[in-house]
Amino acid sequence: MRQENEFLQKSELRPYAQKDSWWGAIIQIALRELRAFGRRPIFLMIMFVAPLVFLWMFTSMMSAGLPTKLPAALVDEDNTHVTRQLTRILGTMEETRFVLKTQSFTEARQAMQRGEIYAIFYIPKGTTEAALTQRQPTVSFYTNDSYFIAASLLMKDMRKMAEIAGLAITRETMRARGYRDDQIMGTLQPIVVESHPLGNPHLNYSVVLSNMIVPGIVMLLIMLTTAYAFGYEWKRDRQRKLYHLGRERMWVIIIGKLLPQTVVYTLLFWLLDFIFYRYLQFPCACGIPSMMLWGFLAVLASQGFGLVLFEAFPGQMRMAMSACSLLGVMQFSLAGFSFPVKAMSNAFEWLSNIFPLHHYFLVYVNQALNGYDISYAWVNVAALLAFSLAPYLFLGRLRNAFLNKEYKA
Amino acid sequence: MIRPKFPILHVWLDELSELVKDEGILIFIILLPLAYPLLYAMIYNTETQRQLPVCVVDDSMTDRSRQFIRQVDATAEVNVTAHCTSMAQARELMRQRRVYGILRIPAEFDKDLWRGRQTVVGLYSDLTSMLYYKVFYLAVINVAQETNRNIKVLERQENVSRQEEQVARWPIRFEEVKMYNPAGGFAAFLIPPVLMLILQQALCLGVGMSMGRSRERFRGLVIPPTRHYKNTLAIVLGKGLVHFLLFLLMAFYMAVCVTRWFGLPQLGHFWELLGFFVPYLLACTYMAMFWSHFIYRREDCILLFVFMSIPLLFLSGVSWPGAALPTLWKVVGSIFPSTWGLNAYVRIQGMGASLGDCRPELMALWILAAVYFLLNCLLYMAEIRKAVGRTVFN
Repeated sequence: MRQENEFLQKSELRPYAQKDSWWGAIIQIALRELRAFGRRPIFLMIMFVAPLVFLWMFTSMMSAGLPTKLPAALVDEDNTHVTRQLTRILGTMEETRFVLKTQSFTEARQAMQRGEIYAIFYIPKGTTEAALTQRQPTVSFYTNDSYFIAASLLMKDMRKMAEIAGLAITRETMRARGYRDDQIMGTLQPIVVESHPLGNPHLNYSVVLSNMIVPGIVMLLIMLTTAYAFGYEWKRDRQRKLYHLGRERMWVIIIGKLLPQTVVYTLLFWLLDFIFYRYLQFPCACGIPSMMLWGFLAVLASQGFGLVLFEAFPGQMRMAMSACSLLGVMQFSLAGFSFPVKAMSNAFEWLSNIFPLHHYFLVYVNQALNGYDISYAWVNVAALLAFSLAPYLFLGRLRNAFLNKEYKA
Repeated sequence: MIRPKFPILHVWLDELSELVKDEGILIFIILLPLAYPLLYAMIYNTETQRQLPVCVVDDSMTDRSRQFIRQVDATAEVNVTAHCTSMAQARELMRQRRVYGILRIPAEFDKDLWRGRQTVVGLYSDLTSMLYYKVFYLAVINVAQETNRNIKVLERQENVSRQEEQVARWPIRFEEVKMYNPAGGFAAFLIPPVLMLILQQALCLGVGMSMGRSRERFRGLVIPPTRHYKNTLAIVLGKGLVHFLLFLLMAFYMAVCVTRWFGLPQLGHFWELLGFFVPYLLACTYMAMFWSHFIYRREDCILLFVFMSIPLLFLSGVSWPGAALPTLWKVVGSIFPSTWGLNAYVRIQGMGASLGDCRPELMALWILAAVYFLLNCLLYMAEIRKAVGRTVFN
């Protein structure tokens, strides 16, 4: 009797010997899945090592905040005390460091083409003379916009400097004429623009980028591993065994099969939440528990997305995974965090809705960044829920795959 | 099928016929490099945000404040879609995502300006995307600066002549030149490096799938245990050549067709592009073959290589300025051809650099190609020994 029990416990066919309970089946399938993780190191690699290494890389890259003191070249053909003063103003700015000082524009251009500098500040011959004789000289600032972020940062410095330098000259004139300082400011800058970047007051680019790229990577991995975990059964030709193990109920199989991954990935999301909002102190207006809930929902939605694609190519692991990867990489562009969806053409604006990351992103913005009521983002929450439930609409296809489809090499 | 005499040609034909027969591989080596660039280019083709919907809270309700609003509305970046009577109303619109910014004109706007005092205009921006803030801020700051200059010159100072007026506006003129990306947009900045990344990733996926398939077919071996597969050099060259030649075509498709269709920067000459593509694709091919040695099932490579694309883009430093990258990650990045290739391509094609200007990158690519080639030779030598052992054993 005892021997028989042991045999039954080892055998994968033991459900036949036991009661026909769905929760027992779910646990059995989940345990079976866990054993499969142990046999395939790639699972551990993808579920633990890859996201954590990436998180480490990304946070260490972003920890310095915005890049400062970017290399630029100075071409000062005039070389007088006035131009040197201009240069000094620019040199004190946050983003600019002159690594190359030369008399020849060609030399600077070549340095730019070699990738050594991101910008050139060009002061042509005769600038000082023209300025002193009120002939309005022109100085130029060239940025290398092939490197968009660096160029934007340097351009910002340059604009500021241009404004300050121009105003400084007028201020000196007005002081000499005996105006008070508040009168001078009212003349120099009558309208002051006070900007309030809501939710991210320091305009920390890392906040936006980390909060999306890292969860995005995790969601991509979830899609891939979901399709992989299912397809793997067909590959090993064990799909019928799984079918019986799940008492021939599709929802039991889906839940049991995905449960271990759901747990691991949810924990990963929660770890991210703690690292971002507790350790790195990223703004989180809704509190960490809410974000943990949305993270859990994002995991379910991505699993649903992966599974729907698997149902679209029933039993064909590779096609499903190819589809997951082609769409999964696309979602980084279409989620709209670097290049906003509003700026894309209408077709892509519409298309962005089929990606879970887009909806998770909007929920994140609504909740953590802005701290609005969740009712304003109910569409996105509903979309995430819809993604998680979508696979249950096509259970027939999945059943058909279990019964009739073989692995195609 | 006619079997050529030279083992290298044999390997080459074998690999080619394998690729053509396998639709799973074809997706990655044909469809992906052909279609993905088009998709990306179409997404970013609009280059930048225009006509961002914003709303205005005008507490001043004067001629001057309305003029200010009209000028903001007239910019390309911003579109004033709503006028609200209170901040609460405006914030509600923002929560509903109907506007992405609020411009607030204070009640004493006009009064302050007449009295010669400073007045403060409030700008509240949604940060769903940094670009929203950037365009909104730029639009308002440009209008404010222009208005300021007009006030200074026309109302506060007594200038004698037009020339003096002009000089008072701008004592020194500053000229901004956006080099190599005149629109200052996303497509010209992001697409060229992404093209090169797609080349490398597609190569990795194609090679990885084909080697995983061999391993499954030949019970753990990456080469069939036949007499044609005895010469290490022939195998490494023959297999590599298939992918190299195919992707050379793809590379020129991207550098010429995609670039031309979408009006991306196109300053590289044929010989310079060729001089770059050869080492880049060699390094990519042999890196793909090297990593694929550690993949035992064909689907595994999708898991690994797809996920790598995003970190590799960041490691290359084109999206995030390279100067800010910590040393450890610079070292990690340097073993991937993409890190060097993305930068070299951007410079050759986008900035018209000569091959000499990219000497460090090209050197690195040649070194990587050589190192990965040698590593492959070693691995295939071991593989041949295993294959021989197995035939004897059988």
